Amino acid sequence: MSSMFSTLTTFAADAPAPAESGGVVSLVMAQLPTVITIGAALGAVLGAVSYLIYVERKLAAFMQDRVGPNRVGPWGLLQPIADGAKFILKEDVIPEYVDKVLFILAPCIAAMTTMLAFAVVPFGPVDGAPSFMRFIIAPNVDIGMVFIFAIGSLAVYGIILGGWASNNKYSALGSLRASAQVISYEIPLGMSVLGIALLGGTLNIEQILLNQAKGGITQWYVWTQPLACLIFFTAALAESNRLPFDLVECEQELVGGFHTEYSSMKFALFFLAEYTHVITISFLTAILFFGGWHFPGIAEPGSTGLLATGLKFGVLLSKVFAVILVIMLIRWTIPRFRFDQLMGLAWKVLIPLSTANVVAVMTVLQFGWSKWWLTAVSLLLFVVAGAIGVKQAHDALNRSGRRPHAKPETSGGHVAHAH
Amino acid sequence: MNWIQHNWALLLPLVLGACGVWLMMPGARSIRPLGGLACLGALVLGFQLVAGSRDVSGSMFLVFASATLISAVLMITSRNPVYAALWFAVVTLGVCGLFLLQSAPFLAAATIIVYAGAIIVTFLFVIMLAQQAGTSSYDMSSRQPFCASVTAFTLLGLLLITFQSAAAQQTVDGARATKVAAANKSLNLEIKLNAADIHKSSRPLPNEELGQMRGLGRSLFTDYLFAVEIGGTLLLIASIGAIALAPRRAQGTL
Repeated sequence: MSSMFSTLTTFAADAPAPAESGGVVSLVMAQLPTVITIGAALGAVLGAVSYLIYVERKLAAFMQDRVGPNRVGPWGLLQPIADGAKFILKEDVIPEYVDKVLFILAPCIAAMTTMLAFAVVPFGPVDGAPSFMRFIIAPNVDIGMVFIFAIGSLAVYGIILGGWASNNKYSALGSLRASAQVISYEIPLGMSVLGIALLGGTLNIEQILLNQAKGGITQWYVWTQPLACLIFFTAALAESNRLPFDLVECEQELVGGFHTEYSSMKFALFFLAEYTHVITISFLTAILFFGGWHFPGIAEPGSTGLLATGLKFGVLLSKVFAVILVIMLIRWTIPRFRFDQLMGLAWKVLIPLSTANVVAVMTVLQFGWSKWWLTAVSLLLFVVAGAIGVKQAHDALNRSGRRPHAKPETSGGHVAHAH
Repeated sequence: MNWIQHNWALLLPLVLGACGVWLMMPGARSIRPLGGLACLGALVLGFQLVAGSRDVSGSMFLVFASATLISAVLMITSRNPVYAALWFAVVTLGVCGLFLLQSAPFLAAATIIVYAGAIIVTFLFVIMLAQQAGTSSYDMSSRQPFCASVTAFTLLGLLLITFQSAAAQQTVDGARATKVAAANKSLNLEIKLNAADIHKSSRPLPNEELGQMRGLGRSLFTDYLFAVEIGGTLLLIASIGAIALAPRRAQGTL
């Protein structure tokens, strides 16, 4: 956004006294690539979201030994279109005693903020783009990462307002959970990226990508910052309210959580926001830790031309798709956390670990040691945290005397819980 | 009397604004549409004071400034605390827009994260927990609306007049000052920066753009090191205090 302003202001500075109409026309012309890029990105995201839902349903079916959607079109491929049509044609119910303004505003805020965060994410090789569009909506934003976190921190308003305006206890509980969860997980999210910012000396996402591409595959930050990668991925998953962190819309306890009262297109907007968020965090994971469009032998920074651009674009998209698939697999692998476990994970595990990681990066940089020490430190921290966690769980079970074989009369409840 | 004639352009919007805010405050005598009109009039008259720069950043300034001021008035006059918190969020966003115009993108992003993203969300959290049974009587009428608006606008007027007289005394210097002053000039305040007053570390390096994080970090950890450290210590003490005050789990919470 700041780059948009600077483009505008430098333009205004370049043409000190333009004729009123000519100034406006050339101003519009100068912004034309941006407009085209925004249109292309929005269209791609909307299309991708509808088919990601299809992929997710098929994958869920695969993991649960079911068939999945197969009625509409071959292999159910037209299912997303049917779903979309249903969302549009369904009756749009606004319940009686809701706060109408906020009730309508909430899904708009949710969809808008997640789309806005996408503005600084490069979705292709920025320098190899054709002249009429770019592979990033707002190029050269110096504070790219901070911008994404800032916009991401606004996304919680959609959930909070939706839950509060619904005038429903379950929705309100869902949004209360959301506010605590999102605020807590913002801290490890930001801290995990600090290490990369220090190593690369920049917060500009394009620059972080180029740093990795120029150094080859060994310079991908996932090798030196594996723990940061894990923390970032976990915290981002929690920010997007996906399983195993979807306490916000936990069906067993809260009916539908914050969106209980929503139907039709307003519900679809919440859905769209969630999936856009998933796409954005997948792009960020692929770019920050896995080298973006870089892949040795296929997409190198030196290569130019249309084919190279296409290859880079393809490499980045396949990486992103792989991350999205992992997110979807996790959904059916790890059960949902309890709320105190969720808070404990953020405050007692992720924040100390990411702080330790930042301290390690600073130490290595200060004394000029080999940065491969960071890999060792990351693994060590991971093992230590795991050992502490296992020890505590063990002690807690022993202390409460609720081990399955310790007291037969209470074992039933515990076994049920353990499953 | 002479002084009033001299400063009427500043006094008129202030008086109009005070009347408007007083009329808009929730209460029995509140006439919200009239108050709103008065406030809008004050806003338009206030912007007449601003030297009109007709380029893009000038109009952006007008958009952000008016959004900030309008939301600020709506925030203090809205009957529903949830709406007040939301208008506060819009105020923060407007101020961040102004920061962006002043080439301070990091400050803008950090303010959004801290205020809009954390503090106001916490407010909303508390308001939602407290307000299960609809708006209460103390939301429906404000206490001492007249004194409050008169005091606030008197303070604002004193601040503006001080700025004006201070601006008249200061001298012009420095290449870096021009960019900062460009936006201030549109406020007609003419705050000029003396190049000698800016510490060396705060100035951008030759190959550096104004408002990059590098310069901000250098300045924070050289010139303002003690302030940063004291601020950090204060926050640490506060968080230790919060942990100490919070009841233990054995005492029955959580």
